[in-house]
Amino acid sequence: MNGSESVFRETSFMETSGEPRTEALPFSHLSLELGHVYMDDLVEDPTRLRRHFAAVRPWADAARAGLGTPNSGGRPRVSTCFLIDDYFSRRSTPAELIPPLLEAAAEAGLTIDYLARESACAGPVPGGSRPLADGSSRRGRAEPADWVLRRLVESPPPGTTGFRPPASCTGWLANGRRSPSLRVSPALNSAGTVWQPPGETDARVHSVFLDVELWSGQEEKRSWSCAFLSAVWQLVRLGLLRDDGHAVLAPAPWEDEGFPAAWDALAPVLRLNPRAAPFTAYVTCSVLPARFLPVEHAVRVILDQVHVESEVLGQVAMRCAAEGFGVPSEVVDRISYVFPPGL
Amino acid sequence: MGGLGTPSGPVLACGEVRTRLLPTSDAVDERTAERLLRLRTDERVRLSRHPNRYAVSPGLLTGVDCRPPSVNGASSRVVGTVTARAVLVEGRVLQSSAHFSAPASGPDRRRPWGHYLGRPGCLIPVGRLPARSVAEGFLAGPGPHELDVGSIAESLMARVCRHRILDFDLPLTTVNTSLRWTAVPAVEGEATSVLFTKADDGLRTVALRLPHGTAPAAVAGLCEDLALHDWLLTTVAYALDGLPAGHEDSGLPKVLRSLVDHLLHLWMPRGHVDRTLHAVWEELDEHTGYSRQWNVMGQRIRDQLVLRAVRSRHQPSAWD
Amino acid sequence: MLVLAASDKGGTGRSVTAANLAYQRSLDGDDVCFLDFDFGSPTASAVFDLPDAVVGADGRGLHSYLQGRTSEPLRIDVWARTEHPALRDRPSGSGRLVLLPGDRTGGEFPFAEADRHRFVDLVLRLRHEFDLLFVDLSAGRSYAADLVLAATSPHGGLGRQGNRWLVFHRWTRQHVMAAAELAYGNAGLVRAGAAMGHRPEVLSGSIRFVRAAAPDLESPPWSQVSPAQYVWLRQCEQVLEELAAARGICKARVLASIPLEPVLQWQERLITDEDVHDHGIAHHETLRAMRDLAQRLTDDEFWGPW
Repeated sequence: MNGSESVFRETSFMETSGEPRTEALPFSHLSLELGHVYMDDLVEDPTRLRRHFAAVRPWADAARAGLGTPNSGGRPRVSTCFLIDDYFSRRSTPAELIPPLLEAAAEAGLTIDYLARESACAGPVPGGSRPLADGSSRRGRAEPADWVLRRLVESPPPGTTGFRPPASCTGWLANGRRSPSLRVSPALNSAGTVWQPPGETDARVHSVFLDVELWSGQEEKRSWSCAFLSAVWQLVRLGLLRDDGHAVLAPAPWEDEGFPAAWDALAPVLRLNPRAAPFTAYVTCSVLPARFLPVEHAVRVILDQVHVESEVLGQVAMRCAAEGFGVPSEVVDRISYVFPPGL
Repeated sequence: MGGLGTPSGPVLACGEVRTRLLPTSDAVDERTAERLLRLRTDERVRLSRHPNRYAVSPGLLTGVDCRPPSVNGASSRVVGTVTARAVLVEGRVLQSSAHFSAPASGPDRRRPWGHYLGRPGCLIPVGRLPARSVAEGFLAGPGPHELDVGSIAESLMARVCRHRILDFDLPLTTVNTSLRWTAVPAVEGEATSVLFTKADDGLRTVALRLPHGTAPAAVAGLCEDLALHDWLLTTVAYALDGLPAGHEDSGLPKVLRSLVDHLLHLWMPRGHVDRTLHAVWEELDEHTGYSRQWNVMGQRIRDQLVLRAVRSRHQPSAWD
Repeated sequence: MLVLAASDKGGTGRSVTAANLAYQRSLDGDDVCFLDFDFGSPTASAVFDLPDAVVGADGRGLHSYLQGRTSEPLRIDVWARTEHPALRDRPSGSGRLVLLPGDRTGGEFPFAEADRHRFVDLVLRLRHEFDLLFVDLSAGRSYAADLVLAATSPHGGLGRQGNRWLVFHRWTRQHVMAAAELAYGNAGLVRAGAAMGHRPEVLSGSIRFVRAAAPDLESPPWSQVSPAQYVWLRQCEQVLEELAAARGICKARVLASIPLEPVLQWQERLITDEDVHDHGIAHHETLRAMRDLAQRLTDDEFWGPW
């Protein structure tokens, strides 16, 4: 393509809405999640936190050690984070809940670099995006979950021709072919409609079929599922989410000023440790209780079907290559888990 | 992936464009156009005001894994995504356009889905792709259980048309058209070519042979432009069909007025077509005489209106 | 506009009358589409005289489309394909007349949510091409009627499309009661629609009744019966009117009476000008009633919130 053509292309679209540019982010090598606890659990049993971090500690160390030494030399950049569930229940306040949480972590020798709120993944996030005079405008609200929903591209089971309702019609996402619904009409059943099993698309001989509920309720007041928000959370940590090219949920600094009495007054992602490595990372590891296993299976099913912008993926790939750090090409392969005993 | 026929690029690109009047009583403004086409909240609608008002939605991907259509029954399988977008021209004509491109061969079995998501708009064959047979089969239309790109375009169209701000108070009934297209790279030394056919029920097909390196997205843009102008001609010709010359009938001026109000100013060939493909349009126009036909029809409408205006000066009649 | 033809019982002339209305509107220059939703016993193709055209409908008809087995339901251009001698030459100034047939095999079936979406998509798509869409529903509170009720509810996708229901019934005691039950009964359209989000007064205002095979006592042969018979018929007529009014079918809700027409008793067909004027096989009154009814479909004076 010669010069005159590129000029033509640029002038053919208004400059305010030209080709989106992708904002670059700083990256750690590893984002290490030290836990994910329901608020109810914390409120009901304060000693639980101590036991939690004590159990996490050795596995967190192992995750760091597993990174080895980067080719570029020096220590790998690792940031730690902790997700508080303020989406499904709000039984306590940040002022009551966060200080003991940080104390318990410190007692086990762990530092929580970043604290995030689960409702930040759902949105709308107040102040999470550049406000616009026109309230109806998309850019007035940051809704990461909605963005991810719109970027879902269902993995087609064999035989999918394009004539099929999209995931957003149903609010469910599967890892394969669902069992066909039975129509109880005698006229049609004469054609031999019998039950057919579902099937996992990537099955090796036998299926582990999973159908994930992404949200429930009417569109206007959708309630996002835990699995879906966790998938959003992973994408945020991997730095793969952009709002029209702009970074989302950038960590807000915290100056040791105490914690507010309302969750909405707390920044979506808070940098508690001023010396922390960047929040976003090439790969993630989450140390979680084993009861999260089904949720995280669902997270993998979702992540496998999220279409991340190629510019964003390309940016991360270039940075990794420059650092000599090997990052898997598939997004779903960039996340890992530890489910320690006793958690 | 690169352009058509490049070493790592596709050997075939196919698509379908569906064209309709936006189902409202009037053309919509730029803000409304943006609302209608905002299919994804994280990506903008692209807007252009020159040479006419033109809005393009973000691209949407649809995953498929099936047999591609083929004329000789050759069994093959493709996996990947078809990309689709909606286009609104002058806030009045709505198009939905879906296309894919395909390389000559791919891995022997299906890879993890992320592999395909990394190549948006690309259908990768499992094994070899019988490209010629698929190209011909695509234009003939999908058989049962075969790739159905038209459906992907249609469901995007339906999605936009379901928007609450559309009143469905259409100023005139029109013909819904579908334009199916295929593009293959011209062999060294071979001329580029375009073969356009019209079938019943508003179906058109375009078989293109284009220079090496032509980007599939640019071809899709060309075909959207062809589809738009073919639809304009079809719609105006349909409205004029059976219009008795000079006959005084209260229903007639409304049709003529609707054409003037809503359609006559939309003729803008190559308005948003990549420069490298302008020659294709010109070649097609020379064969079909589209521009000449349009000019004649436009002149006929204007003449009718002038005649009616002259008559109404002598015997006042109500213009609804 | 979507015209939904319903009836509680079979034999009310619903399909044949609806097809005739479609034909009349098309003659008047409207672009008309007829969707054969009579999944139990599709008759539209017979009325339009399309014996060959429907053979291809298996696997491509409306059943197949709604169930997601085909993306493009079969469309038949009636003017081009009919074998009816009077219809083969499409009159100048007439509009399109297109039939979307049901599959020949297959019957009533329960609908899934996705089917409703497909129905909405289809109707919206056809709205570009046609001024009037007729949907011929199976007799009774069918699955098809439920699908249409759901789709036309305020959040169903077609809530703002100007939908009008025609309930066909014969002019007998049993039929009048059944028609009233279909519209206003416990399991009737209005109650079922309300449960799906319709506003009952709006839905009720969009339902009108069509009396089929109704004898006109002022014209032959009824006007020529013996005085005793005539008095008796008059009394019955009076009783029936009172019954209808008591069940909610007051005069204002009756859109038309189609006279008893021998031709239609023998053959379900379109009544053409030729049938009346050239061949003399159909009554002028029948044709006029069909034409009047066809006009009233879009005449707001006959429709309202009562």
